[in-house]
Amino acid sequence: MTIIKENRLDQSDVLGQDVQTSAKTNWRRLFGLQEMGVYYALLLLIVTLTIITTYIGQSNYLSVQNLSNVIYQSSLIAIMAVAMTVVLISGNFDLSVASVAALAAVMLIGNADAIGFWPAAALAVIVAMSIGLLNGAIVQYVGINAFIVTLGTMTAVRGLVLIYTDGRSLSVANPDVIATMKSFEGGRHDGFWLVLVAGLALLAVAAFRIFQTRMAGKSLRPATLGMVVAGLFFLLVSWASGGELILRNPVIMMVVFTAIVWFTLSFTMVGRRVYAVGGNSEAARLSGINVTRYKLMAFVFCSGAAGFAGVLFASRLRSINPAGLTGAELTVIAAAILGGTSLFGGAGSVIKTLAGALLLYSLTNGFNILNLGANWQGLIEGVVVVVAAAIYTVGGTKAKSKTGG
Amino acid sequence: MQDNGPIMQLRGIVKGFPNGTLALRGVDLDIERGKVHGLLGANGAGKSTLIRILSGSYWATLGEIIWRGQPVQWDSPKAANDMGVATVHQHIPLVPTLSILENVFLGNGGRWRRSSAIRTQFNQLCERVGYWLDPDTLVSSLSIGERQMVSIFQALGTGADLIVMDEPTASLASEERELVYNTVRRLSKGEKKAILFVSHFLDEVMALTDQVTVLRDGLAVMRANTCDLDENRIAEAIVGKQIVALERQAESRVPLAVVGNDQIPRLELRDLASRGKLQKISMSVAPGEVVGVAGLLGSGRSELLHAIFGADKSATGEVVLDGKRVARDTGAAVKAGIGMVPEDRMAQGLVPDFEIWKNTTLPALGGVSMWNAIPVGERERDRGWEAIRMLGIKAISPEILVKELSGGNAQKVTIAKWLFSDVKLFLLDEPTAGIDIGAKTDILRLVRQLASEGKSVIIVSSEFEELLTVCDRILVMRDGQCIAERNARDTSEHELLLLAGGKSAATEAARH
Repeated sequence: MTIIKENRLDQSDVLGQDVQTSAKTNWRRLFGLQEMGVYYALLLLIVTLTIITTYIGQSNYLSVQNLSNVIYQSSLIAIMAVAMTVVLISGNFDLSVASVAALAAVMLIGNADAIGFWPAAALAVIVAMSIGLLNGAIVQYVGINAFIVTLGTMTAVRGLVLIYTDGRSLSVANPDVIATMKSFEGGRHDGFWLVLVAGLALLAVAAFRIFQTRMAGKSLRPATLGMVVAGLFFLLVSWASGGELILRNPVIMMVVFTAIVWFTLSFTMVGRRVYAVGGNSEAARLSGINVTRYKLMAFVFCSGAAGFAGVLFASRLRSINPAGLTGAELTVIAAAILGGTSLFGGAGSVIKTLAGALLLYSLTNGFNILNLGANWQGLIEGVVVVVAAAIYTVGGTKAKSKTGG
Repeated sequence: MQDNGPIMQLRGIVKGFPNGTLALRGVDLDIERGKVHGLLGANGAGKSTLIRILSGSYWATLGEIIWRGQPVQWDSPKAANDMGVATVHQHIPLVPTLSILENVFLGNGGRWRRSSAIRTQFNQLCERVGYWLDPDTLVSSLSIGERQMVSIFQALGTGADLIVMDEPTASLASEERELVYNTVRRLSKGEKKAILFVSHFLDEVMALTDQVTVLRDGLAVMRANTCDLDENRIAEAIVGKQIVALERQAESRVPLAVVGNDQIPRLELRDLASRGKLQKISMSVAPGEVVGVAGLLGSGRSELLHAIFGADKSATGEVVLDGKRVARDTGAAVKAGIGMVPEDRMAQGLVPDFEIWKNTTLPALGGVSMWNAIPVGERERDRGWEAIRMLGIKAISPEILVKELSGGNAQKVTIAKWLFSDVKLFLLDEPTAGIDIGAKTDILRLVRQLASEGKSVIIVSSEFEELLTVCDRILVMRDGQCIAERNARDTSEHELLLLAGGKSAATEAARH
């Protein structure tokens, strides 16, 4: 292929509206509220809580014990929020996650005594995924708005839970099942070496990439910077833990799950296509991407993850109340929004969603520690979500350049 | 009120943006009553910025706006509107779920949705323009041309004295354009309105306007009465002599050698049809052949491309590429080697929030990936650079988001998407609509170049002259039907217009 070239470039490039960003690293954007806002908020909150707890003489907020508690508490919601982020990126919406998780929990508790823990857990996740398939099929093939469809399934699935349990709480009796559940959900591992090695590995990769971009004279990418921050954070945590860092199973699962989803979204063709489908589904379709399949699979994936979270939830309590997890879908969506995920599709990051979930649970945790009572919690959380969305929107319009010509 | 002087004067308008871009560098403009003033310029010359300043969407950084002899400061489109400046925007902003009547009087402050006063006013508008629409039809059911008329009505409904029209004919077929021309003439000559007419079409500027201002790089480089000009001089002012020479070069192409019969056709259509949109069509395209599809809006020209590409699920019939049947699915079409550049580049062709490089590699991700699964960022960025270099996209790096590009450059990215995989058949739907002459020439040259490499191209265009320049063979479509086929050398723009417009279609049918 030969090259069409003219000297026209020099005419309008001086003024050309197409030229906005330089090839150099755009530090202001990299550290701007849009890119990093949720991390700043999380940091700010932790620092504030630390100062207050120290000041009023309570136990140190920053203790490894307390922080790992926060992470443990947020793990279920975080898993669902990460999966929700995928649905949001693909340009859809899922309100039914909490009901689906509750259904999965009920399926597990209701059947574990009879067929054993693992078959019941598999059944629970399969049932959850089939509801995702139903959601996706109605949205994609009938063409009803996802909000309406999942509002319906949210109510209907909660109804299924009530029918199945007949409105009563269920619990497991078989001691074998109880033992499996305990070890599945409550297992603890010393993650000191794991965190240390992960931190070092992240820093090493980041250093290599910085070196690479320096040599090539190209701009630094946010992901590299994130690696540096995360690496330092991991090292800090392993240092603070003093050689023994107990991680509970759900935390490990959350981290592994998020890492897998992050890798898939950021580095694979599947991930790129999910973003493309959400960013402009018609353009994606006319580029030969099977839009329907991608959007449908996002629903199935999200419901599957919700089912898994339900299994964890049931294993934690080893009994289930039919009203369990009611309203959790809003926390899940709030976490995704705090992480800067666009409700219009095409944009979002699971790492930031994770930070959003941690932010919400740090708030809850802070309220408990400071004995502020649950009454204020809803108000503060709501304000935080709206302020976050406002920052993203205002930052977004400012960053956008108005072009002429 | 001053009646003899210019109704609108701009003095030394400068507009800078926070990111350091200087879109306008001191523009003077005089618009007189009863005159049609043409505003021309390449993409990125500052036309849209100037219009937004006139219509009150932007503040001018420096300079003066003098309206009816008084300096004014507009802080919103509403303020400009109230003083008598109305704008007909390029991307017609109407509410599709409301009726024509409600759209036309959308800005009115009346209390009731329906009133007989408004109806009378609407009828008067129709009377003035000489064009009748049913006021109760929903806008969503109108064609683009009719929508354009509704937005002109909207501008008139405010009682404006200066009407700014931002490329009102860019997306219209020639018949519908005529309607807009008539309206413009009526308003300026009959009602003594001042009209600022922005366009890319030199012929319509010549035919329609009284005065012309040409912008280049934020400066007014030419200001003259239209009668003292010809198309060549305007074109030179817009882009510089170089480009005009290039276009001629493209025109004087050598016709391709006739392809032998023993070859397998690149593309074969067997009874391809789509209910209500496209009637049965069978044809074949040879390797290296450029086939033009001439037709007005709604003639089924885009539908034909969508049916070939498998984007139209309800289509029936067979599409055979290089002797192999292609399944009715866009994924299968891309895999088989068909690439499509759709009509609406931002809505159908590009992911606006993706960088240039991500858009460039979208249909052929496998080619830049490890193990056909993990795209390699470096390779993708190299593709982006290559696209910028190959097509002369005006962007400093592939990291730029495509939504920040101007029309012509965005279009080049849409085409670049298909240049990096083994695409054998290109389907181009209005690839040159709304872009400047330079970019247009680039794209037409690219089409010829693709053909010389043995690729086949089917190109749809409203600008028949363009088809004559670049095609080997031209199909004429009307009402979802292919009504004629011409060798590009044996036909003329005039004949194509007549065929597509349907005047001689009856005789044509009789002749076959």
